[in-house]
Amino acid sequence: MVYITDGSFEGLLTAVFEAYQNRENPEDIISRSTLQLSMVIEMREIITDPEKSDRVYKAISEKISQEALEMVYSAYLSEAPDCGLYIYRFIRIGMKIGKKVCHYLQNPDVLRVHDLSRKVFGETHRFLGLLRFKRIQNGIFYAQYEPDHNITMLISGHFAERLSDQPWIIHDTGRDVCALYDTREYVLMQGHPPFIDEAQPEEEFERLWKGYFKAIAIESRKNPRLQRSFMPVRYWKNLTEKRL
Amino acid sequence: MKLLEKLEILADSAKYDVSCSSSGSNRKNVPGGVGNAHLPGICHSWADDGRCISLLKILFTNSCIYDCKYCANRISNDIRRATLTPDELCELTIQFYRRNYIEGLFLSSAVIKNPDYTMELIIKAIKKLRHEYRFNGYIHVKSIPGADTRLVYEAGLLADRMSINIELPSVSGLKLLAPQKRHEDILTPMGFVKERISESKELTIYKKQQLFVPAGQTTQLIVGATRDSDLKILNLTEHMYQRYRLKRVYYSAYVPVNDHKDLPALNTSPPLLREHRIYQADWLLRFYGFKAKELLDEGHPSFDNHVDPKCDWALRHLDQFPVEINKAPLETLLRVPGIGYKMAERIVRARRVGPLSFEDLKRMRVVLKRARYFITCNGKYEGGLDLDEKLLYPVLSDEADQKAMIGQISMFG
Repeated sequence: MVYITDGSFEGLLTAVFEAYQNRENPEDIISRSTLQLSMVIEMREIITDPEKSDRVYKAISEKISQEALEMVYSAYLSEAPDCGLYIYRFIRIGMKIGKKVCHYLQNPDVLRVHDLSRKVFGETHRFLGLLRFKRIQNGIFYAQYEPDHNITMLISGHFAERLSDQPWIIHDTGRDVCALYDTREYVLMQGHPPFIDEAQPEEEFERLWKGYFKAIAIESRKNPRLQRSFMPVRYWKNLTEKRL
Repeated sequence: MKLLEKLEILADSAKYDVSCSSSGSNRKNVPGGVGNAHLPGICHSWADDGRCISLLKILFTNSCIYDCKYCANRISNDIRRATLTPDELCELTIQFYRRNYIEGLFLSSAVIKNPDYTMELIIKAIKKLRHEYRFNGYIHVKSIPGADTRLVYEAGLLADRMSINIELPSVSGLKLLAPQKRHEDILTPMGFVKERISESKELTIYKKQQLFVPAGQTTQLIVGATRDSDLKILNLTEHMYQRYRLKRVYYSAYVPVNDHKDLPALNTSPPLLREHRIYQADWLLRFYGFKAKELLDEGHPSFDNHVDPKCDWALRHLDQFPVEINKAPLETLLRVPGIGYKMAERIVRARRVGPLSFEDLKRMRVVLKRARYFITCNGKYEGGLDLDEKLLYPVLSDEADQKAMIGQISMFG
């Protein structure tokens, strides 16, 4: 039996609820968008139900731990096609053995969720540093980036605290998801952000930053391989100092 | 002079300072302010030499009255000189910060007129940045050797981290290469800052905390400009951590910038492998429970080129191995070559849930290349070799590491 969800976190938790309720052990839990039509399989369509997903959410936090909840949610944000199945199995084990499930890395299901979660938190931390804003009209600061995982939600709080007196937009151009901040609070929305199409490239401080970036390297210690291992080439197109 | 040109000159002059870390402080933002500090620190970019860029690392001025032989900014060098105004410095910091290029400012300076005058200029600039520009991000300030402790105190109330560079591993080295800097002028302020830091922590019991250098102090020394041994450097490092409670000691492989009879020749490559080994040993002192005397002594005064300091130690103490992964306490696991801090913690937590086999460790991505010779899992040894120094040394030599180091030097040296 394969469960098909709408791809939301609530949808996934609803699927977990139904697996318990139906006393079933689904072979897979996938979102509709990754479903391939050629697959001939027995499947059940899961209708997202906030009441059911809430119960699972609370059960994870109360019967397993807050840490487990954070692991599960971040693993979900990885958008890995197999994350639904492993999250489901992780929750099953957690309901049996409690909070120590988070450290039970000898178990392949737990290890997979742990690895996905680490990837997502790792990329989140990376972009706290690598995100680049530029000042566009109306004094708005606009940042575009293309993260591997769906982390816009995870990085926005940091910038709302830190750059609290400037309106900003963080735009994940790959997913077309953005966070909008108006100096009081931020909201997430799906779709292309407003105001940015006529954005002019910013000259002065970008030029100063590039000049600084060049001057700070020690020529006789040049090491492009080391640089790329910290700052992979796929991020360069949105990095002021590396953009061609 | 245009701001861009000044920035390039003053960053170029600051680049031999290694520290760029922005960790250790959790200064909060306030309404109407700009910025905060993030406790673990954040790297914002990596320069072409692979070093992290976290702070805007810059000198206030590179016009120096001193003539230290190892330094690119010495008075007798014919180089371009520049000085920032406090507003230029504040504007650069704030505008870079708003664009998320940097985590804050690392301000140092050449000595202009005299140490007190220089320190006053630095204080004026960061005071402006904190109060007029309302900046709450990370500030690392260099303390100028010989400046009045009253000024050091004032700077410490504004900064997150302070550092004063010990420069060379020995007093004789300092006398030879930097005769205008006195050893006491470096250690006295270091001791002073240490005392004020512990006081400010005590005061918090009675009244609202007055932040004084919340991220602690650090220092830096040059490796390879003098003939000082690894043993001398490591003993000094341990003393710095114990006596002065430093957060970090940084090491910089000497890059020849000046031609002088007391210095290595201009075509000498920076001793990067040696720097790397000293950093590895520094980690062993800070996080792995090692003492300097366990790693080096008079009969064994230098690190090995082919194996890292922990391997080197283990090979001389084979009677303490193998250790049982499922039983050994954390501090013993930390002494196994190839097992890092994170992995040791991961092992200790996982084995509480169930016993660990060799295959489990592999799957958990514990790197077993070196560790396999030093452990058993449920009593099973999978090293395949006798615990014998002569057999183990060749298989433990980290050639990959070495190639990277040598390749780097010959390609660009």
